[in-house]
Amino acid sequence: MLKKIFVLGLLISSVSAFGQGKFIAKNAYISFYSSTPMEDILGETNEAVTILNSDNGEIVFQSIMTTFHFKRALMEEHFNENYMESTKFPKAKFSGKIEGFNKDMLKAPVANIKITGQFNVHGVEKKITVTGTLGMENGKLVGSSKFKVVPEDYGIAIPSLVRDKIGKEMEVTVKAEYLPYGQ
Amino acid sequence: MKNIRFILLGLIIVLLVGNVQSQDLDALLNAETKPTIDYATATFKSTRIINGHSIEQMKKKQLDFRISHRFGTLNNGSYGLWGLDQSYIHFSLEYGIKDWLMVGVGRGSQNKIYDSFAKFRLLRQSSGAKRMPVSLSYFTSVELNSLKFQDPTRTNYFTSRLTYVHQLLIAKKFNDNFSFQITPTFIHRNFTPSELDKNDIFAMGAGARYKLSKRLSFNAEYYYSYNPNAKFLPTRYYNAAAVGIDIETGGHVFQIMLTNSQGMREGTFIPQTTDNWLDKGIHLGFNISRVFAL
Repeated sequence: MLKKIFVLGLLISSVSAFGQGKFIAKNAYISFYSSTPMEDILGETNEAVTILNSDNGEIVFQSIMTTFHFKRALMEEHFNENYMESTKFPKAKFSGKIEGFNKDMLKAPVANIKITGQFNVHGVEKKITVTGTLGMENGKLVGSSKFKVVPEDYGIAIPSLVRDKIGKEMEVTVKAEYLPYGQ
Repeated sequence: MKNIRFILLGLIIVLLVGNVQSQDLDALLNAETKPTIDYATATFKSTRIINGHSIEQMKKKQLDFRISHRFGTLNNGSYGLWGLDQSYIHFSLEYGIKDWLMVGVGRGSQNKIYDSFAKFRLLRQSSGAKRMPVSLSYFTSVELNSLKFQDPTRTNYFTSRLTYVHQLLIAKKFNDNFSFQITPTFIHRNFTPSELDKNDIFAMGAGARYKLSKRLSFNAEYYYSYNPNAKFLPTRYYNAAAVGIDIETGGHVFQIMLTNSQGMREGTFIPQTTDNWLDKGIHLGFNISRVFAL
């Protein structure tokens, strides 16, 4: 029995040791952009947080809605008040996995990757697959992605009155510079 | 048999630990996300509740062009199309110098006034990393009555045209829909219509808004005067009371109201409201606000 417990203990500790390597970016950039002949809308934040688990390719992002800033104060107010309802849904979150991940991707030069995961915005969660890049650039581990989001998919209603000013799709841009966690 | 149970137990533990691992990533993420100061935004839709100022500021480099009308009284009857035959207009340009400081200049047809004001934000209601239960602003304005002097034979001073207004705006956004503001007010008029009219007026304003939908809200506002004119005087003044709705359409805010005051500036509607709701002395009116980003 003692032997079995010992083996079990070993098993558990090996699993724990498995999750050591993590990379973090605390000032990741996220923007979304919509362009129409009437108006261009650009919201940006430099305060998104992302963590990459270098053992299994799990990757998570989180950003607080009120950290997004716009050129026009009124856009920012409408973004939080009318569209994102930031007091009800303060955060946007993505948690996914890099497809075909292996550790060497973190040391190789920047290359294309594909990530599949759950994207949660405005209290609505959807499975999405996005393309991006990951790898070393100037001695730093950098990741980026660009993908399109349809606001209506996430229960964000856009009234007909302003429909002409807000694009049908938002282009989301993500850029992060990772550091080993705990450094 | 024992072995199978052992393996199963092992598997469950491995799975559990594995699960803890991905929860770990979430926990880590939450721990690393900086706590934010959540300021209460859009306590009111516009810089006015109805007639009086709200806690809202024009943000830095934003210009607000406002046009307001107040029609005649409902008790004009059909002859005066329930007040619509007659109207006063006021227009103004208002600008955010800093996020905490806005200024404005305007002109109104009632008393041919020119006015200028400044509004300073002192405290912002917030939750999260920093807690502040209310928002507080200080508002001050000068109004210039440019009507010809009633009695040109006497010595008339330029300063007789001036009225000064000081207000503290104390507001709280209770939830997404309901906001409330109280507005202690002091007004000094250099010159009054008669000797018996007060030069210094103390008043307390109260205003609220309730959001009916994301772009529509119901507003109400009341100004109580602590030292109104004595009742026997020929001109009777009433407390200003108004109800209205705000309709927001992108860069515009339309405010449509019913009010017993025809004045559109503090120096007129607080001390000089001459109509009474109970006598159907009610004016229909509107404010249109258009915001430009400079």
